[in-house]
Amino acid sequence: MSVQAAEPIAVLGDQRSIEDFLIYEAQLLDERRFEEWRDLFAEDGHYWVPLKLEQASPEGEPSLFYDDRRMMETRFERLRHPNIHSQNPPHRTCHLVGNVVVENVDTKRGECWVRSNMIMTDYRLRTQRLFSGRVRHHLRGDSGSYKIVLKRVDLINCDDVFELIAVPF
Amino acid sequence: MRYDPEVIRSLVHRDHVHRSLYLDSELFDLEMEKVFGRTWVYVGHDSLVPKPGDYITTRIGKQPVVLSRHSDGKIYVIYNSCGHRGAIVCNDDRGNVPLFRCCYHGWTFKTNGDLDAVAMPRGYGKNFDLSDPSLGMGRVPRVEVYRGFVFASLAPNGPSLEEHLGQAKDSIDELVDRAPHDEIDLSAGVHKYMFRGNWKMQIENVVDMYHVPFSHESTIRRSGRQFGRRSGEDSSSEISDRGQAAVRWEERAAWGSRSNGHSFSGHQPVAEQIPDDPVFKSYLKSLEARHGAERARQVLQPKRHNTAFYPNMTLQALNQHVRVIFPVAVDRTEVHVYPVQLKGAPDEMNRGFVHHLNVTHSASSLIQTDDLECFRRLQAGLQAQGSDWVWFARGVETDKEDERGDYVNNGTVEVQQRAQYAAWLRLMTEDDADVGSGR
Repeated sequence: MSVQAAEPIAVLGDQRSIEDFLIYEAQLLDERRFEEWRDLFAEDGHYWVPLKLEQASPEGEPSLFYDDRRMMETRFERLRHPNIHSQNPPHRTCHLVGNVVVENVDTKRGECWVRSNMIMTDYRLRTQRLFSGRVRHHLRGDSGSYKIVLKRVDLINCDDVFELIAVPF
Repeated sequence: MRYDPEVIRSLVHRDHVHRSLYLDSELFDLEMEKVFGRTWVYVGHDSLVPKPGDYITTRIGKQPVVLSRHSDGKIYVIYNSCGHRGAIVCNDDRGNVPLFRCCYHGWTFKTNGDLDAVAMPRGYGKNFDLSDPSLGMGRVPRVEVYRGFVFASLAPNGPSLEEHLGQAKDSIDELVDRAPHDEIDLSAGVHKYMFRGNWKMQIENVVDMYHVPFSHESTIRRSGRQFGRRSGEDSSSEISDRGQAAVRWEERAAWGSRSNGHSFSGHQPVAEQIPDDPVFKSYLKSLEARHGAERARQVLQPKRHNTAFYPNMTLQALNQHVRVIFPVAVDRTEVHVYPVQLKGAPDEMNRGFVHHLNVTHSASSLIQTDDLECFRRLQAGLQAQGSDWVWFARGVETDKEDERGDYVNNGTVEVQQRAQYAAWLRLMTEDDADVGSGR
């Protein structure tokens, strides 16, 4: 069954609304609804997966992902290409979101900061991999829902040697 | 021995090589000895060890080594193994220390690899000579640095680095000349990816212009152009014209040295464009201040796209990076990709290089992942015994020789790979005494 968009939020940073949002976001990826996932990001939003523990900035240091919406567009356009060899067959993924803590709510700015842990298993061609990491969301309330200003995923093996990765964490 | 020189010669022909080159672990072990164990191998860059006591750990073939800057300011490449029982001494990827110290019995070594002290020395008898150099970590026989690029050879004798690099050296110049301060910096960080395939697939691939419209079909838009690969560019070079390589693509230079195995492919058409933005203009100004206007223009017109320094390093001019290949097993390879920062260029420009490399060459990138999938399918497909051979015949009739006897050609030919296997054959069949005697 496909997931539906979460209920409109009543109170910014409310635990339930945040958890609903993070679960919805993860499920969009598992269902390969990439364009809808991209639309969860604010116009100035970024998705960032550093290559170093405690990496201070995505600028001037390489990252596994550092996508703005425009980059996501190019990335997902390619993931939809009929002859993308690395996705034949596609990776199947299963995200699990947990330990959700709303760290800070700024009602004046209409923004909040959330920490969670994630586990993503991906599977392709008889190989299953396990990724896990700490996730930080910077969210902005936007007409009854949230928009992602920054999603940062710190993998516990961020400096590992990776085989090809297709689907965001 | 199963692989005597005569057998090896039967495996490599000018335009085809035997599939066992990718499959047989006995040949792989022999490569570690005869190729990686003798010729000049890239080990690192001096910008990774700017201060005395700085070190990085890496490998030459399968052997762990440390690249360090000693208190004398010089660069050393030493074996990463304790002179006592042989444990790894430096356990981190990089660091800065006054002395290296083994975890097992506490022996310490200077950052040039010499033994510094042993723990509880009175326990050793009079006949045990602690000043014996063989108790140190041991230095790799030959180390040379060219414009910051550190190469080492495990063979005590052989051609100099300059002789070994030959015309490939110009690709290092082309890259470093683009830095207004005449130096590049590789210390921004590193992408690391792995594939279940033989290491030679990677060095073949970087200078293979034939695969681009097909392997990378998913990166090419309906216009035939690739997505933008540089700051401020919405799209990149025209690659494909209805499944054919675009015309400009066929005009590109192709070069390979059959004595040393180095090769390059000519520049991408998009590299000729001079971006029209204020950041680039300020860069141009500092380049002109350094070189004068005419030379600055030349520097900005690179002639080469990817250059492969056989056997383990590649440079790219468009999405500037240095790539290092680590053979792990006959069917497993690790690759490290370092973004290049041009010293003296505007920060914003250097940040742009880093940013675009995430998208082109990381393990989650849009381009490299296509190649990784092809390498996986190569290694799996080569298990089939329907044919004994892998072919590099494209353009063999039109190969020409330049004044040094290297191969030259144009476009989507496989001359670079023919050069690689000519060098492979030489290295694999040459006696130790003849190493580097050349063609």
